[in-house]
Amino acid sequence: MTGRVRSKTSRSGIRFITIALPVAMFVILSFTASSFFTAQNLANVGNQVTALLIVSLGQLIVAIGGGVDLSVGSMLSLTSAIIVTYDPAIVIPLAILAGCVLGVVNGTGVAVFGVHPLVMTLATGTFVQGLTLLVSPVPGGVVAPAIEALAHGRPFGIQPSLLWCAVAILLCWLLLARSAFGLRLYALGANARNASLNGVTVVGPIIACYVMCSLAAVAAGIFLTARVSTGDPTIGAAFGLDSITAIALGGVQLSGGVGSVPGVILGVVTLGLATNGMNLLGVSPFLRMAATGLLLLGAVSLQRRKTIGV
Amino acid sequence: MTLSDTAVRTRGLRLLNMATALPIAYAGTLILLVCAYVFRPALLSPLLLLLIIRQAAPLGLAVIGQSLCMRILSIDLSFGGVAIGVSYILTSGYVPGSEAVLIGCALLFGAAVGLANAFFIVRLRASSVIVTLAMGLLLTGVVIAFSQFRAPGDAPALLKYIGQSRVSGVPLAPLLWLALLIPVAWFLRRSVLGHYIDAIGANPRAAHATGIPYGAIVVIVHVASSLFAVFSAFLLVGFVGMGSLDIGRDLALNSLAAVILGGVTFGSGRGGVLGPAVAAFMLTFLFNLLTSFGLGEPSKLMLQGAIIAVAAIAYSARTKT
Repeated sequence: MTGRVRSKTSRSGIRFITIALPVAMFVILSFTASSFFTAQNLANVGNQVTALLIVSLGQLIVAIGGGVDLSVGSMLSLTSAIIVTYDPAIVIPLAILAGCVLGVVNGTGVAVFGVHPLVMTLATGTFVQGLTLLVSPVPGGVVAPAIEALAHGRPFGIQPSLLWCAVAILLCWLLLARSAFGLRLYALGANARNASLNGVTVVGPIIACYVMCSLAAVAAGIFLTARVSTGDPTIGAAFGLDSITAIALGGVQLSGGVGSVPGVILGVVTLGLATNGMNLLGVSPFLRMAATGLLLLGAVSLQRRKTIGV
Repeated sequence: MTLSDTAVRTRGLRLLNMATALPIAYAGTLILLVCAYVFRPALLSPLLLLLIIRQAAPLGLAVIGQSLCMRILSIDLSFGGVAIGVSYILTSGYVPGSEAVLIGCALLFGAAVGLANAFFIVRLRASSVIVTLAMGLLLTGVVIAFSQFRAPGDAPALLKYIGQSRVSGVPLAPLLWLALLIPVAWFLRRSVLGHYIDAIGANPRAAHATGIPYGAIVVIVHVASSLFAVFSAFLLVGFVGMGSLDIGRDLALNSLAAVILGGVTFGSGRGGVLGPAVAAFMLTFLFNLLTSFGLGEPSKLMLQGAIIAVAAIAYSARTKT
């Protein structure tokens, strides 16, 4: 039977370690850091994790299609810069428009011209970072109350971060697990040539992936800016690699075709707990950056690919 | 249509093909020089040109390493981490010993980073972009965290001498650049390793099947690439005269831009060694020109991004047809 050829990794990519890692971290933290279980800290974790989760879900969509998007961090920063710079009435449509343009450029470069996704998105990410600094050179500015309410209001008494997470998870899950688009995307990511020979169009869906990923970064940017109530042109700098680390920890194969929403949630929780734990234990922010690098190296080492190189 | 007509036309086509196959850097440099001639003629004075070439030397050295990586379908984005690490080793005063020992330590450090990169890429088959980005993050984080305890001090006198002195009017740094560039060019063209690198770039699977030691070459190339980053950091530290946590911050991105502009892309060494070197000069000249127009960091970043994207698209579109 050929059904068990890929038995080592299912399409969800979730393995024992994907689940064990966040659980172990949770247990360790609750013993070592006394302030971990306070309501304040748990709310903090929730807030810190929300933006990362939204970006990582976008990254998941691109990764299933066989690509990767390093420009999400810059897009998040640009959103923040736009919100504090222009007329509050147009900032959200403007940010969404910018996200669409960036996604189309990324997707076209990758799907039409065949540029490697990492090179393409590194380039556009650098461009967008420059643009962001042009729009708003220094941190600061005021966020309009209507936008602030998006991350501070409590409809039905629910934490706003939970609401954002729930909507993002639901949308992404519907798209990947319950739509024809999602099915085609898994096929494309697993083997673009086979999918194309079986009648799946290639260019359109890939461009759509990058657009959705950029829009996820815009959404995360709106949430984050509304929450901290001020703009920062470098607020997203770490999100590119962080989101890749999170999805890799969640069992998503960066070569495409394998990954799931529950896996990404587990990966984001792992990274969020690791960051929060180091925070509570008083580790320097720069060593935390180094630790993220180490986690990323560990996570990609778990996924043996067939090819050597980029 | 007579025979001579078609002959003329094919020759014309061939010339056109050759012209478009040349690295973008050549035409780009020409355009920039003309631009400078029209708007900022002062930049073209021999004195300033020499200074710009001197300024381009560190990038030029890093570009050699990056082009080696890209020839074998890999990439090295850990240059920033290597440079900051080298700066710390040379100037923090933590490492005991004479200047020679310090420089030796820096070289060992570079080789170790290259080996670690190669280990993840070859043995664990991880994507080189992600491995080297993570490595850069790791090194930068560790070095900055450590330097909070001790501010960087002076650079070794030897490096200051190399960075700042001149031989009969010509700065020493570009001479060093040339002294490394020529042997590398010769080596890539003449040695067995050079041919292996070409073979892997042309078709990795075929190269592997014919018994070329694929893994070993990736290791060698990554160690070499990190060592070039160390040399580049030597020059940078020598220029500044003291340690800094800002050193080599955009080395990785600029070297990527220069290599692509210089006609070397994943798996193709068409631009040779000269193309990327010219591109390193072109980028440095461009940044000087931008500064003279009063444009700052944001426009520099935008141009960097646009250049990489446009050049990558142009090459991909060309190789497809």
